[in-house]
Amino acid sequence: MDSAWLWLTFVLIGLASTGPRASFILPGQRVRLPGRLQRALRYAPAAALAALVMPELLVEGGTVQPFNARLAAGLAVVAVTLRWRNPWLPFIAGMGVLLLLRKGFGL
Amino acid sequence: MTDSFRRGAAEGFRAFLPLSLGLIPWALVTGVAMRSAGFSAVESMGMNLIVFAGTAQLGTLPLIAAGAPLWLIVLTALALNLRFVIFSAAIAPAFAGIAWPKRMLAGHLLTDGVFGVCIDRLLKSDDPHWRLGYYLAPSAWTWLLWQAFGLAGVLGAGAIPREWSLEFMATIALMLLLIPMAKSRPVWVAALAGGLAAVALRGLPLKLGLVAGIAIGIAAGFVAEGVQFRRRER
Repeated sequence: MDSAWLWLTFVLIGLASTGPRASFILPGQRVRLPGRLQRALRYAPAAALAALVMPELLVEGGTVQPFNARLAAGLAVVAVTLRWRNPWLPFIAGMGVLLLLRKGFGL
Repeated sequence: MTDSFRRGAAEGFRAFLPLSLGLIPWALVTGVAMRSAGFSAVESMGMNLIVFAGTAQLGTLPLIAAGAPLWLIVLTALALNLRFVIFSAAIAPAFAGIAWPKRMLAGHLLTDGVFGVCIDRLLKSDDPHWRLGYYLAPSAWTWLLWQAFGLAGVLGAGAIPREWSLEFMATIALMLLLIPMAKSRPVWVAALAGGLAAVALRGLPLKLGLVAGIAIGIAAGFVAEGVQFRRRER
């Protein structure tokens, strides 16, 4: 691998990351999205997070797999989060269920 | 540094601390992955410092390792970061009255976690110093964790057993952002539609399934809001 090419790649990926992030913060008050679009975009964070999370919970080895250890762990996280306010508990419950099913039951 | 900046910083840090746990395994995994892609330790940390974006780093690694053309690598990074345009537009009002070098820094440091945790209170406060502190403290903490545990992953590549499934902690962290958002029905619809669409379209090249899923989720939320509004009118 050519090192100069690699560093150029890093810089361009960096620009492709900082660019979108700063796109509306940097111009400040001069650039505003139209009101309708802004209202629609309120749903973006939830849509983006779900689009990242659901494939992780439902897809195993490229196919949809409704019974798998990660989905069970995910459901444990939801249950614990809705029931208790302790912020560390979801990590303990989720990883606990995942490792128990993977190691204990070979799922 | 004003008093309200310091107060904002303390509150932002405290609000974000538990969730920042989820970053640790993600940074470790990314560090290990960069070494596995064939980068030297210096090159790996170079990428970590220059890019500072886990999804873009992990998403482009297989392309770089396979010798893909530069335009495809950059396009993939852009697609993975498209959500930040949306986040940036939503959070921009919080930086009104802040000088542009600080806005540039704020832009560079924008992450999913800090956005998810801080956006509500950021937009409600009318003190620009408090807002800057409330945003910058958890963002700087994120940067620090990302570099420190990225370095640990780079140096310790091969020493962490794969069967610990530590990468799942990143998924848990994302779920902890999502669950409190789903309070109203339109948000529920947006999340459900976005998630299912991303599952259904996961085979699309360039991670476009993720971008399409987000777009479909937003549209579904917007439609659901309209339906709810019309019902109330009657």
